[in-house]
Amino acid sequence: MKKLFNSPETMVDDMIDGFVEAYPQVRRGAIDPRVVVRRRDAKNPDEKVTLLIGNGAGHEPIAMGFVGQGLLDANVVGDVFAAPSADLILDGVREVTGKAGSILLISQHSGDVINGRAATMLAEEDGLTVLPLLMYDDISAAPPERRQDRRGAPGTMFIYKILGAAAEEGTDQATLMRLGEEVRDRTVTLAAALSPGISPLTGLPMFSLPDDEIYLGMGVHGEPGVGRVKTGPVRGLVVEMIARLLEDRPIAEGGRAAVIINGMGGTTQMELLTVWRETAAELRRRGITPLAPMVGSYVTTQEMGGFSISLLEPEDEMLRLWCAPQDSPAFPEIHMIPEDDQK
Amino acid sequence: MSAERYFNALRNKVAGEMAQLNALDAALGDGDHGTTLLRGLTSAAQAADGRRAKAFMRASGGASGTLFGLVLHEIEQHLETGADLGDGLARAEARIRDLGQVKPGDKSMIDALSPAARALRDGDLRAAVAAAGAGRDATVEMIARRGRAQYVEGGGQGHMDPGAVSLTMMLALLAETEAAA
Repeated sequence: MKKLFNSPETMVDDMIDGFVEAYPQVRRGAIDPRVVVRRRDAKNPDEKVTLLIGNGAGHEPIAMGFVGQGLLDANVVGDVFAAPSADLILDGVREVTGKAGSILLISQHSGDVINGRAATMLAEEDGLTVLPLLMYDDISAAPPERRQDRRGAPGTMFIYKILGAAAEEGTDQATLMRLGEEVRDRTVTLAAALSPGISPLTGLPMFSLPDDEIYLGMGVHGEPGVGRVKTGPVRGLVVEMIARLLEDRPIAEGGRAAVIINGMGGTTQMELLTVWRETAAELRRRGITPLAPMVGSYVTTQEMGGFSISLLEPEDEMLRLWCAPQDSPAFPEIHMIPEDDQK
Repeated sequence: MSAERYFNALRNKVAGEMAQLNALDAALGDGDHGTTLLRGLTSAAQAADGRRAKAFMRASGGASGTLFGLVLHEIEQHLETGADLGDGLARAEARIRDLGQVKPGDKSMIDALSPAARALRDGDLRAAVAAAGAGRDATVEMIARRGRAQYVEGGGQGHMDPGAVSLTMMLALLAETEAAA
């Protein structure tokens, strides 16, 4: 597989160089250059709670693309597909944490949880007030009675955005933690994988699937999920995925759902918009109003083919914050669907 | 004794035992425990004062780099600031049990660390090393419940846990160098 890098040793730093030069919203960290920090209109961290997250490189635009006003204050970038080390996350915490405290968002994967929580323990020794918020939403990773064992999946973007907007308005740390937990408890995600991403390190596919099969519930690195289904018109696949999502966390008839259709990197916007069309139609058929969609490739694994559907049953305040303006390099503008268009 | 001297000595010790640690790990995991420890310790030995355990975490990598780094962090604090080693090891033990979701008997570094921390409460470092060694030897008969070894046939019964071996090595070397100083 052809790839456009200089060398495995420099590929992550080369990318960060390109990123901070391309966007005036961000800069490299002063304490550690592997931290991408909000630059434009940064607020006083003694007054605003700061939000940060660490993740392995290779999944862009998440999460460095979401650093900016009304969203994240920093992203700690690990090596390719590897959680950043605890000391590196600590450097990120030190970079942005003031008297108002900070929240370290942790998408639940084993290395991220251990290193992220260890970083918050070390930060406490340094007198910094940082709280870890574990994020999980992938219904294929564990049954509803073990929700807390689920993996973090693209539905975690609801938490980033809603907490980012609330923090910008001056919400305090404890309230933000509660809000984050409430959003998490109202969010479910299910993914469908079509084809593997190619590792930038090895040049090899990260898993294999027969040409006529789709894998439901596969994690972003090829972790196992629900099982295989045959390919066919996408409507049938979406109907099955919505059924599984609503079986896991029901939304009553007359209810509503904010939706994320996330592409994994190798699936076209043409396909994703088709998936969104079928998702909206199926939700309406069930008497649920789809709201404020985010449709595009935001959590990717190189050229992996596939998508996920995330549903959030929002309270009014969550919905307002989900649609609030922000100024990051990669997060889209989120709009309410006009009443007239809800058929 | 300076932290610099300790980390240099530990690096050299692990360099000598690397093949042995890798062989132990090969029976239970992916066989790189000695290699990742040495990589971390080489970076720690060269790091600035106060940054050695952190340099270890970064260079060693992975969850094991973090968990061993938390032990080395307490040893570094003890050597740099005279912080009480017993308190430090007890804190490291609590953190590792919490983060790694391991407890005594699971066949892990905790089986050496936990008795050592307990021995240090009422005894000296020499007693703690002896307790760690006994805990290490007891891992041979244990069945792994966490980590990769749980997927090995029989949960790795019959094999000594490499994390318990290296943890004991860290404490033994601390006792040796403190006695020599």
